[in-house]
Amino acid sequence: MSPLWATSMIFFSLLLGSHGRPLYPLPSKQQHKEKKALQTSRPYNIAHRGSNGEIPEETAAAYMRAIEEGADFIESDILATKDGQLICFHDVTLDATTDIAKHAKFANRKRTYEVEGSNMTGYFVGKFSCISSTLFFLQVYLDFTLAELKSLGVKQRFSFRDQQYNGKFSIITFEEFIAIALDANRIVGIYPEIKDPVFINQRVKWANGKKFEDKFVETLQKYGYGGAYMSTEWLKQPVFIQSFAPTSLVYISNLTDSPKIFLIDDFDIRTQDTNQSFWEISSDSYLEYIANFVIGIGPWKDTIVPTKNNYLTTPTDLVDRAHAHNLQVHTYTFRNENSYLHFDFHQDPYAEYDYWINTIGVDGLFTDFTGSVHQYQEWAQASATNEASALGLLHKLALMISSFEGEE
Amino acid sequence: MNPFWATCLILSSLLEGTRGRVLYPLPSKEHKHKQPLQTSRPYNIAHRGSNGEIPEETTDAYKRAIEEGADFIETDILATKDGELICFHDVTLDDTTDIANHTEFSDRKRTYQVQGFNVTGFFVGKVRQRYPFRDQQYNGKFSIITFEEYIAIALDANRVVGIYPEIKNPVFINQHVKWPNGERFEDKFIELLQKYGYGGAYMSAKWLKKPVFIQSFAPTSLIYISNKMDSPKILLIDDFSMATQDTNQSYWEITSDSYFEYIREYVVGIGPWKDTIVPPLNNYLTAPSDLVYRAHAHNLQVHPYTYRNENSFLHFDFRQDPYEEYEYWIKTIGVDGLFTDFTGSLHRYQKCASGILR
Repeated sequence: MSPLWATSMIFFSLLLGSHGRPLYPLPSKQQHKEKKALQTSRPYNIAHRGSNGEIPEETAAAYMRAIEEGADFIESDILATKDGQLICFHDVTLDATTDIAKHAKFANRKRTYEVEGSNMTGYFVGKFSCISSTLFFLQVYLDFTLAELKSLGVKQRFSFRDQQYNGKFSIITFEEFIAIALDANRIVGIYPEIKDPVFINQRVKWANGKKFEDKFVETLQKYGYGGAYMSTEWLKQPVFIQSFAPTSLVYISNLTDSPKIFLIDDFDIRTQDTNQSFWEISSDSYLEYIANFVIGIGPWKDTIVPTKNNYLTTPTDLVDRAHAHNLQVHTYTFRNENSYLHFDFHQDPYAEYDYWINTIGVDGLFTDFTGSVHQYQEWAQASATNEASALGLLHKLALMISSFEGEE
Repeated sequence: MNPFWATCLILSSLLEGTRGRVLYPLPSKEHKHKQPLQTSRPYNIAHRGSNGEIPEETTDAYKRAIEEGADFIETDILATKDGELICFHDVTLDDTTDIANHTEFSDRKRTYQVQGFNVTGFFVGKVRQRYPFRDQQYNGKFSIITFEEYIAIALDANRVVGIYPEIKNPVFINQHVKWPNGERFEDKFIELLQKYGYGGAYMSAKWLKKPVFIQSFAPTSLIYISNKMDSPKILLIDDFSMATQDTNQSYWEITSDSYFEYIREYVVGIGPWKDTIVPPLNNYLTAPSDLVYRAHAHNLQVHPYTYRNENSFLHFDFRQDPYEEYEYWIKTIGVDGLFTDFTGSLHRYQKCASGILR
């Protein structure tokens, strides 16, 4: 062999190597041709930020745990980084859920913003949006690139939850999130949110004049997501696209026919893009309008059934009216800890599920505790089936007979 | 009518009235065919009533527990200064009553633990919820009840509901309270049970009509009453570091095989603290000890305490889900009864997990 030819061969094969080999399905994954279908006979178990009751939110591990525990959908918040990459992350600041404080090289990125008279200090991923007061548009730039964010460790947000995984997992990208769902050995849906689109579009520019929503939908379509709700295509790769911003949902309805969910915040919060109040966007006329673009709404639990002194008061008619407009209702967020449970449920998360599923009649539940919802639903289904079956009859008879056994 | 005779008549009927009329069952209470006690799965023992919702050891807490499906309602029996038996857990009144509001008793405040109140005093005080994170709306609405009132609640239910009273602090009570004829706390305890027809060995026909478990941390009390009453008894076992109040024996001694062999002549089971059966570390369970296995080998039931729904009481293995805890203890460890603050949740678990109608 000529040394020149050999060198060229080696050189070219190295080049090929650096382009990456073509993706083919791994042999271990071949048997997943007939994946168990998505259940559609009972309200959806939506793993809110993954199984974050146990594992830090929006990490690969949290999502995989949720899939293990029986989630119908894994849910995520999609934001954009400084360099236009789509990631799974909820907050505008990095302080509550990452170990950013330990990274000395980022110390100079710490900012303080004054909002409605109070200062907020932290590391900003994106726009500051205060949860409990009216939204506020600030002149701030997105501060971190994807590579920088990947160097951080995610931690458990709530101090009363398990802290043992703190710093062990990274922030993941939208694509990685999708891969987790597609990689499962049964059909698992995804439920990504177009989060803070107004602000992101102000601060991040993509090539060819594309917007955040465009990149969002492109990513979904790249992985084969599409098809109207309950179509064959959709059932193979289920997805719900959610957002608090109605104009984003309207905008993407031209780009994809995937089902969309319109999120509704608390009574005193206005929509970030159209500045409309809760009362306006939950009115009959608005529901009639938005029903052309979305398949359901995602309201906060305590607006459907307001509470007083930690007890439920009379339910509003929001669910009934939504259903009358053929809109599903997926409510947030269900948590097991007693501090989140109203006294009517006597500290029992399953009593809460029972109420929302059987008394109020919602169509989906965003929960931090996927496993508990799943267990509840499995048991409820089992006892319902038994009532109609021979076994159920036998049990009924046994109970009838035993009531006479006390006679001696 | 002779005025003198009329006066006598009125006087004697008044006397009759003050002595009380003969007790006969009320027409509304003709419960001849009460649904019997379930005996096919671990007992749901309402620890101090349904005190997750309603202040502990009150009438309402017990009635709620019965509503929610308790197999047994549990209580702690103490004696007052004047020898009456009441349902109360603590040695002091501060945590669960509004005693602080009663200035007439402020001189009774002591720096050491004493029960120094008579029956009238207790009734004036009202009960409140022990834990601040539980419902406070019933504070001050209910009184402390007597042992007899507690028994009446169980007997009054429209299905067979067992009672599970504890001979509490007997050493201390016998030191400070004296009954006539040299009777002791344990004697009065038994007398009251027998007065209401309790008796019979475990699972006998008599016992099934009025189920009862008598529990105590003091083995000598249980041995003492075993001569007088064949009702089933349970030896309670405290944490690793606690010695028995009467015999000063350590945890390790009273859970040894030889001790089990001895005590099984007198009791049908033991009531250990959950975290001694499966010790936790960093709020996770470690490997279970062999306590349950050995108890079962000696034909002793195991009724551990206490199951609570709040996440602060749940080890991380259970992902803040009380039903996971029930599942573990019933299916993996295999206990025979559970003392719970949340009767309704345990009942729901047992119904759902066995696939029976809700």
